[in-house]
Amino acid sequence: MTDSSQRYLVGIDVGGTFTDILCLDIENQTLLSAKTPSLPGKQWEGVLNALGELGIAPADIRAFVHGTTIATNALLERKGAKTALITTEGFRDTLEIGRTRRLIGGLFDIKFVRPKPLVDRRLRIEVPERTAADGEVLNDIADFDFGPLAERLKSEGVEAVAIGFVNAYANDKTERDAAAALGKLLGDVPVCHSTDVVAEQGEFHRFSTCVLNAYLTPVVIKYLETLAGELNDKGVKAPVNIMGSNGGAMTLPQAAKFAAGTFLSGPVGGAGGAVRICEMADVQDCITFDMGGTSTDVALIYQRTPRISHDNQIDAYPLQVPQLDIHTIGAGGGSIAWVQDDGTLEVGPQSAGALPGPACYGRGGTEPTISDANLVLGRLPTERTLAGGLQLDKAASEAAFAALAEKLGDGDIVPLADGVLRIAVAKMAGAVREVSVHRGFDPRDFALLGFGGAGPMHVFLVAEELAVPQVIVPRYPGHLSALGQLLADQRLDSVRAWGGKLSAVDPVELKVPANEMKLDASKSLSEAGFGSDKQTHTFTVDMRYVGQSYTLSVPTDENAADWDGVRKAFAQRHTETFGHADENNDAEIVNIRLVSLGIVDKPTLAFTSGDGTDLIVEERKVWFGDGWRDCPIYNRDRMEAGFSLVGPAIIEEAGGTSIVPPDWKVTVLEAGSLDCRNPQVSS
Amino acid sequence: MNPLIQLELIRESLVAVVNEMRANIIHSSYAAIIYEGHDFSCALMSADGRQVAQGLADHPIHIFAVPYSTREVVKVFKDDIHEGDLFLHNDPYTGGTHLNDVLLLHPVFNEGKLALFAAMRCHWNDVGGMTPGSLSGRVKEIYQEGIRITPTRICEKGVMNQAVLDALFNNMRGPEERIGDFNAMLGTGRKAAEHLQRLFERFGGDALIDGVEALIDRSERQMRSRISDCPDGDYFAEGYIESDGSNPDPLVIRLKLTVAGDSINADFTGTSAQTNGPTNCGPAMAFNAVGTIVKAFLDPKTPINNGSFNPISVTAPEKSFINARETAPCGGMAEVKFLIDSVVAAAMGQVVPEMTVGDLKGGANHIHIAGPREDGGTYIHYEWPAGGTGASVGVDGSNAVRSYNEGDFNSIQSVETVESQYPLRVERCEIRTGACGDGANRGGFGLRRELRVLDETAMLSVLSEKNVIPPYGVAGGSNGAANRFVVERDGKVIQPSDVPGKVSGFALSTGDIVREETAGGGGFGDPLTRDPALVADDVELEYLTVDQAEARYGVVFAAGGAVDAAATAAKREALAGARETVTLEIANEDDIDGPRRRIAVPSTLANNLGISDGDLVELRGKAVAPLRGWARVTKATDSLLSIGPAGMRLLNADPGDGIEIRAVHAAPEGVLS
Repeated sequence: MTDSSQRYLVGIDVGGTFTDILCLDIENQTLLSAKTPSLPGKQWEGVLNALGELGIAPADIRAFVHGTTIATNALLERKGAKTALITTEGFRDTLEIGRTRRLIGGLFDIKFVRPKPLVDRRLRIEVPERTAADGEVLNDIADFDFGPLAERLKSEGVEAVAIGFVNAYANDKTERDAAAALGKLLGDVPVCHSTDVVAEQGEFHRFSTCVLNAYLTPVVIKYLETLAGELNDKGVKAPVNIMGSNGGAMTLPQAAKFAAGTFLSGPVGGAGGAVRICEMADVQDCITFDMGGTSTDVALIYQRTPRISHDNQIDAYPLQVPQLDIHTIGAGGGSIAWVQDDGTLEVGPQSAGALPGPACYGRGGTEPTISDANLVLGRLPTERTLAGGLQLDKAASEAAFAALAEKLGDGDIVPLADGVLRIAVAKMAGAVREVSVHRGFDPRDFALLGFGGAGPMHVFLVAEELAVPQVIVPRYPGHLSALGQLLADQRLDSVRAWGGKLSAVDPVELKVPANEMKLDASKSLSEAGFGSDKQTHTFTVDMRYVGQSYTLSVPTDENAADWDGVRKAFAQRHTETFGHADENNDAEIVNIRLVSLGIVDKPTLAFTSGDGTDLIVEERKVWFGDGWRDCPIYNRDRMEAGFSLVGPAIIEEAGGTSIVPPDWKVTVLEAGSLDCRNPQVSS
Repeated sequence: MNPLIQLELIRESLVAVVNEMRANIIHSSYAAIIYEGHDFSCALMSADGRQVAQGLADHPIHIFAVPYSTREVVKVFKDDIHEGDLFLHNDPYTGGTHLNDVLLLHPVFNEGKLALFAAMRCHWNDVGGMTPGSLSGRVKEIYQEGIRITPTRICEKGVMNQAVLDALFNNMRGPEERIGDFNAMLGTGRKAAEHLQRLFERFGGDALIDGVEALIDRSERQMRSRISDCPDGDYFAEGYIESDGSNPDPLVIRLKLTVAGDSINADFTGTSAQTNGPTNCGPAMAFNAVGTIVKAFLDPKTPINNGSFNPISVTAPEKSFINARETAPCGGMAEVKFLIDSVVAAAMGQVVPEMTVGDLKGGANHIHIAGPREDGGTYIHYEWPAGGTGASVGVDGSNAVRSYNEGDFNSIQSVETVESQYPLRVERCEIRTGACGDGANRGGFGLRRELRVLDETAMLSVLSEKNVIPPYGVAGGSNGAANRFVVERDGKVIQPSDVPGKVSGFALSTGDIVREETAGGGGFGDPLTRDPALVADDVELEYLTVDQAEARYGVVFAAGGAVDAAATAAKREALAGARETVTLEIANEDDIDGPRRRIAVPSTLANNLGISDGDLVELRGKAVAPLRGWARVTKATDSLLSIGPAGMRLLNADPGDGIEIRAVHAAPEGVLS
């Protein structure tokens, strides 16, 4: 039951540098926010600190959604559980051999060393099981005695078990039997089997996904239990939900079962927040540009829906679970500019991080960073503190760039700082291309949405680089990820290998598996408290021409009487993506996918408008590509809805600085966002 | 804008075009070898056929040959190249690789002027010829390997030459799939041209092309400076193709690699003549191999373009098997190219000792299993399994993975894909334990894969190398196990061919198991100096047995499983003492018997080594790679070994030096061969 005094929706985003909390007071529609340092190794403590900073009564929290990097960190630091893999006879090394690809670089690298699998060879154990490609069980294990195996796993101190059998995608009876038997014998040790995590063809990718899931499960469970316990002690009564990689919220029991679905728990919040901003700004399609201190995340949102990708890879490990198609590159405000062996200039991926931080922070950093480049170019204030209270040291930035200029044998630091910025922008534009052009979309058809601490400073340059006509900067750009979290719907993805050639499959047959999938998802959402009026279920099918391998997703109506709509939609999508369609060839369906949402009530967001007075706080010279320009500095809090200006201009607010290049036209929307138009592109 | 920065932007933009092309091919092609195996590459070429940009996943074997093909097209069509034209090419004698690799060139114009070519080279699953898949170990002339396409305009100003296309596709098995792949290449070229057009607008056409030239210059300067850091001198190496499939004799590659100032010349004078078996390659490949290896040793990180290769020259005798002409078959060009890689790596290991690296699995290991489909057509299952990689200073080789001279392709098909598409069952796919080249750093392990035939009939073709002459170890390291491809029928192992590794259309029947076992990488350094804890790890992980650890590394375990330090020291001393050392003396000339180097071995020594006349032995001199030759057992009973002047140069040794001699076995102790 929802208590009427429970008036707060809370989103908490843990970043590499800061833990960011945003709280929406439903009663009077106000937003409260706070930022505290992230605590590596003790994320939950940082979360509690942030909550304390906010100063609200814990009992008044209605919903609590959390974006965490716990899974990613555990993998990158190899601090997951001691995991065993139980597999089909003859295939203990599938995890190690993969498809023989290096998967991470290695061309021309004589010293390349292949990353070790997450399960030691000794703990990859074969059992006498075999299922054929058509699903026939050739060797059953219903009568297999798992006792000795369970004893061995216990004596080895195994903390998680993955089960992966060949052809389980066609029939997972033996996998389920093995999971049941081992689950009983192993008590608290989590056991998961491959089709429970992903049900598609391709043993290596499925086993790899299952192993990642098992490897992370104990870590994620421990973290969530600690966090939930501590929050409970503080008096928080609301359930603790965490963000899933698919962009929806998950309950604790869901996350405990599907740890591999939490890799992008951190960055997905921004995409969710971006959807809300699109709705408010009346934008259909956008690409998010979330730039922080160490990295930049970009994602493509088409028709107000973030794109999902199913074939992913974390480090050298394939991960086949639906994730928002977020591309991350190591370029953030703290990225360091340096000279490579061959005398050329490079930016990142090394970052000065929070400590020592960029040279201009005056905390001992001496390397020239992107932030320092901004300061050298007058794009950040030196006479006043930043809206966050930080006083920047321009001399330190200039010294760092002078040292770099000396290495390059080029004395003038201003064009050099400009160049560093341009290289960083080219990389970030590459990331935008990755999620758009490489997926068959033209970035010029999208708005770029700039947020994160450094996003609004650079998004305009990226837009110019890609000839994107429109930039949107939301109100409170530094808190958009947390906003996305506190407004996130619950989301379940399911997939089933089903289909055949369109010429051979009766559309009516689709209903049977579709209904089963829907029933399962519906039940799970009901258990989480969503009535049928608060659920949506959307089907798509993965399609290809007969003979192809890769598929494109096409929306489908599970009750359609023929395939005409599906066939047409596929041909169109194929042409858009690959430059041709193959009208003479039959198409086929490979998988059915279902996205089920538990819809959370979303309050209207009203941002208070300024009174239009004392707009300009300063004027100074700012470098814009070809020279120094006089540039007014605006205080965003003072701007009224409907106000408009023409660049150059700098617009400051807490948590973000928008740097508007010359001739861009900026209008403040009713909903608070800045709607900015690129003068080089007529749209 | 700062020119340095403009250059970075141009480079990033061009690489983005290539990466986009790659994604496009993978996602829209029809044959598993392309979308799953990634056996294709994309690149941008200058208007005169120099390499401008490639991605880091593209395969050097394809790409470094594309400039040659492009220059050939430019030579033939000169000023007669127009917007809307498209060119096809696969002829090995004018820059192709093997006939299966078909190149589509899409000329891209800026303001009416030819500016760049978008190039896509894809492996077509079948281009006609004697056996399904077109590659066979037993062909006699190129006509048996499919249809040969010299530079051909298949589209003129937007009008497709359907007659030529029909003639091509009508001569290939599974033409639907071929047409699908051709369409994927067409669409990719179109998309690349669109993207380049945007870059011309953005940078200005001339500025972009100037930038390309500057990038090429920059890569050249970088490579020249790296070469200048190397000691000048002549470095020697040799290596063998073990059989061309038709003749019992091997083929030899002889190399003198000269470092002089800021340039490198690779002189292959003395290399065997072309043959009528499949192990030949055309004129583009020797340069391709030298470029690949020199880049890996000296400058692995600089972005790839023609500049890196300008300081390199190659002398390869025309009509030798590394520079073949009509009508030598070239299906085994990968086997030849990888042998050249291996020989050049042996020489470069002397130039840059800290980069020296154990030898690799050999060529591609082409395996085709083909049989009748229900609809009357032919199914072709094709894979090219990777082996272990070589050890280098400070690092062990990796297991069953693509090596540093190869693009990052899948080389085996997913078991579930194979079983759902073909009447085959994969019974195992595992690490081939024990089969590494031993060393202070050991080579990686290959893989073992077994496919059972479920239908009544099928045919097996294999084209591979290093089945008899295994990958060499370096700096005292041991050789890895050789490749091994056999058939198991009714529980018995049978050889599908009298020439190991060269199988053509061997008839399989229900229940037969095709067993693929790939080579282990060569070791680096003396295995008796390997840290016993690392050997214990390998035993713990069941890569090596306790017996192998003791026999090959001298590591002895106590009853509880811990390393017994005292027993290990004693065992290592005993193993070292049992090695055979000979004293070198200079002979007037080298003992060359056809392609083979012979090494006169005194009978007592032969006895101790357990070898007889004609067996393979190797000598370990100061050169990092061993000198190999076939024993000529003499009546002598001393331990003097006469070596000719070329042999001395190859060993980098002097008369009077005492060096180790070993018998070369196709597999290490305790591993099936």
